[in-house]
Amino acid sequence: MNVIEIKNLTKSYGSSRGIIDVSFNVEQGEVFGFIGPNGAGKSTTIRTLLGLIYPTSGRAAIFGKSCTEDPEVRREVGYLPSEVFYYDNMRVIDLLKYSASFYKKDCTKRIEELAGIMDLDLKKKIDDLSFGNKKKVGIVQGLLHEPKLIILDEPTSGLDPLMQQKFFELIEQENKKGASVFFSSHILSEVQRLCSRVAFIKEGRLIKLEKMSELQDNNYKKIKLEAKNDIDKDLFSLEGVGKLEIKGRIADFIYRGNINNLMKIFARTELANISITEPDLEEIFMHYYSNEKV
Amino acid sequence: MNIFLRELRANRKALIIWSVSMFLLVLSGMGKYTAYSSSGAEGNVFNDLPFTMKAILGIGSFDVTKMSGYFAMLFLYMELAAGIHAALLGAGIIAKEERDKTTEFLIVKPVSRNAIITSKLLAALVNIVVINIVTLVSSVMMVSAYNKGEDITGEIIMFYVSMFIVQLLFFTIGTALAAIMHKPKAAGSAATGILLAGYVISRITELTDKLNLLNILSPFKYFSYEKLVAGEGLDINIVIITLAVIAVFTFSTYRYYSKRDLNI
Amino acid sequence: MNIYKHELKTLLKSTIIWALSMTALALIYFSVFPGIAEDAEEFKKLLGGYSPSIRALLSISLDNITSILGFYSMIFSFITLCGAIQAMNYGMSVLSRETRERTADFLLVKPVSRSKIVSAKVLAAFTMLLFTDALYYVSAFVMANLVKTSDYSNKLFLMLNLTLLFIQLIFLAVGLLVSVFFNKLKTVLPVSLGVVFGFYILGALLVTGENVAARYFAPFKYFDYNYILKNGSFDGVYLVISALIIAAAVTASYLIYTKKDIHAVS
Repeated sequence: MNVIEIKNLTKSYGSSRGIIDVSFNVEQGEVFGFIGPNGAGKSTTIRTLLGLIYPTSGRAAIFGKSCTEDPEVRREVGYLPSEVFYYDNMRVIDLLKYSASFYKKDCTKRIEELAGIMDLDLKKKIDDLSFGNKKKVGIVQGLLHEPKLIILDEPTSGLDPLMQQKFFELIEQENKKGASVFFSSHILSEVQRLCSRVAFIKEGRLIKLEKMSELQDNNYKKIKLEAKNDIDKDLFSLEGVGKLEIKGRIADFIYRGNINNLMKIFARTELANISITEPDLEEIFMHYYSNEKV
Repeated sequence: MNIFLRELRANRKALIIWSVSMFLLVLSGMGKYTAYSSSGAEGNVFNDLPFTMKAILGIGSFDVTKMSGYFAMLFLYMELAAGIHAALLGAGIIAKEERDKTTEFLIVKPVSRNAIITSKLLAALVNIVVINIVTLVSSVMMVSAYNKGEDITGEIIMFYVSMFIVQLLFFTIGTALAAIMHKPKAAGSAATGILLAGYVISRITELTDKLNLLNILSPFKYFSYEKLVAGEGLDINIVIITLAVIAVFTFSTYRYYSKRDLNI
Repeated sequence: MNIYKHELKTLLKSTIIWALSMTALALIYFSVFPGIAEDAEEFKKLLGGYSPSIRALLSISLDNITSILGFYSMIFSFITLCGAIQAMNYGMSVLSRETRERTADFLLVKPVSRSKIVSAKVLAAFTMLLFTDALYYVSAFVMANLVKTSDYSNKLFLMLNLTLLFIQLIFLAVGLLVSVFFNKLKTVLPVSLGVVFGFYILGALLVTGENVAARYFAPFKYFDYNYILKNGSFDGVYLVISALIIAAAVTASYLIYTKKDIHAVS
C-alpha cells in the first residue's frame, strides 16, 4: 500500500488559488522530496494531507485513510511544522510527555535518546529557548513515538550545521528502520542527499515528478571566477557551459558535464578567485523550465 | 505620524462599537427616570431611606427624584464603562506589539521607543476624547428630553470633565502595567481587575461610614459627586493630585518601556 | 484524558482567582447585612405613612432586605455577573487558545478527532466552573449561617445558588460559539466583557416587568429570585430555554469546529 496517496487534490481559498489537481503517491520506505517556490502550495498540500484544512475536491490519504475521517491514522504520523510554537509556561519534558500521551505507547526512553542526540535540555522552559532550540523540541516531538510516516516541513531552518547533520542521520536511521519520509524543503542539497524521488510544485500545480538519479544527471554547477588577466572569449567555449558572461577579468557561467574538462581549463588559467556553487531550487526551476537543454 | 495614523485605523472598529454602546447605555438609563421622578411629593421617601438601604438600591446619597441626582446615580455606570474602555485601551495599545509578535518589525525602525509610545498615547487619547464627548452629548440630549426641572447642562459638563480625568487615570494604569509586566498579555486583565476592585470598593464605602479611608483606592470616589450636584464644581486640589498621578504613570510607561527587554 | 487534564491545569490559576473574588464579594455583603437588616426593620414601620404606589415600589425591597434570603437575592446578581464573565472567558478561550498561542499545528495533528478535542476542553471548562461554584457555595453557606437573623430554608438557598451555574453554562456555551466563528482571535477579554456587560445592562434596563418578550433576550433575568423564593421552584419555561440555548450553541460549536480550516500560523 502506498503510504501517501494524493489524488486530484484541489484547494481554493475563495478566489485565490491554493493547489490545483495535485496527484502523486509516496511508496512505503521512500524518502520523498516535495519542493517548490514560495507560495507554490507546499504547506497547503501538507495541511490538507494532515486534516488541518479541508480539500475543495479530490482526496488525500495516509495509509489508505483520510485524516479527517479517521484521525486515528495520525498515530503513525510524525509532523514537524516549519514554525514551531508551544504552550506558555511548559518545560520541554512536560510538552514531550504531553505529546507522548496521545500515542498510547511508552516513549520515555525514546525521548531521552532523541534529546541526547539533539543536545536538548529537557528541564528548560520552552519560552526561554532560542528559535533553533525550539525547532529541536519540534524534532523530538515529531519523532518520539517512532512513527511510520514522518512529514517534515523546512525541518532544518534554524538549526546549526552540526545539528543539521545529526538530524539527517536521525532521519536516515528511521528510514532504515522502515519509516517513510515526506520532506518539504527549499534546500536542494538536503533534498538531493536524502530523497529518492522529488515532486516539483509551482503555482499550485505539480509540474514534475522525478527520480533523484535523473535530477542529478541534470544538475549543474554555478561558476564565477576572476582571472589575473582579461579572459579570452573562447576560453570557455566548452560543451556543457551555458549562460556564459565575460566582463573583462570576470567570467560567470553554469556548467553541466564532466567536471574534469573544466578543471583542465582552470589549471591553464591564472586565477585570482573562483567560486563554485550549487544552484538553489528557484534557479533550477528558472533554468530547467525556460530551456530544457543547457 | 505614521504610527499615530496606523493606531487610529487599527482601533477604529472598536471605537465605533464602544461609542454606540455608550450611547445606548445613556439612552436606556435615562429611560427609567420617569419611574423615579413621578413619585411626586412623596418622592422624599427616597431621601428618608436608611443610608445602607440607599446604598444597596444603588441610590447612594443622591436625590433621585431630581434630574441632577438621578443623573449622578447613572453617571457611575458611564464612568465604569468608560473606565473599562480606557484600561483595556491602555494595556492593549502597549502590549499589542508583543502580543501580535510585531515587535521585531516596529522596534527596529529608525524611531526611538519614546517616539513610538508618544504616537500610541496620542492615538489612544483621541479615542478617549471621542468616547467622552459621545457620552457627554448623549447625556445632554437625553437629560433635556426627560428633564422637567432646571437645566443642569453646566453640571453635566463638569461631570464629564471629571470622567475624562478618571479615564486618563485608568488608561495610564493600563499603559504602565503593560510597560512594566514581563508578560504584557496579562496587563489587560490586571488593569481591569484593578478597576473592578476600585468599583467594588466604591460600592462598599457607600454602605458604611467607617470605611471612608478606602476611598483612596477607588478613583470612582475621588470626585465628590454630591458636591457637584449641589453646584459646587470640582475640587481643584483633587484634580491636581489626580493629574499628578496620571503624570507619574505616564512617565513610568515611558521609562519602563525604554528599559525593558522586549519579549520576542 | 490527557487533553482534559492539560486544560484543567491551564485554567487552574484563573479559577482560584475567580472563586476567591466571588467569595470575597459575598463576604463583604454578608458582613453588612446585620446593620442593614436592623435599619430596614426600623424603616418598615415608617412606611405605613406613605401612599400605596410608593409602598409598592419599595415594599418588595424592604421585605427582602430584612430576611437573609431576600437580601441574598438582592446582591446575588453581582456575584452572578462575575461568574458570567468567568464562564464567557472560558468558553471563548478554550478552543481559540490553539489558534492564539499558535499550537494548532501541534494538537490538531495528533491522532484525536476534533470533536474529542472539543469535548475534552468543554468538559474541563465545565469542571472548573463547577469547582468554582462549589467553593463559593460552601463559603456562602457558612457566611449566611453566621449572619442570619432567623432560620432560612437550605433548599431555597441552594436553588438560588444553582442559578449561578445555569447562567454560567449559558455563557460558556455562547462563548464557545462566538470563538469558533473567529479565525484570528487575538484577545478574549474585550469581547467577553462586552458581551456579558451588554446582556447584563440589557437585563437591567429592558426588563421592567411589563415587557415579557424582552426577557427572552436577557439571560440574567431568566431566573427571577423572588419567584424562586415564593414558589420554591424554577420557572420551567426558562429552564427549557436555557437548556435549548446551551444545547444549540454547543452543538453548533462542534459542527463548526470540526469542519473548519485551521490555517497556518500567522
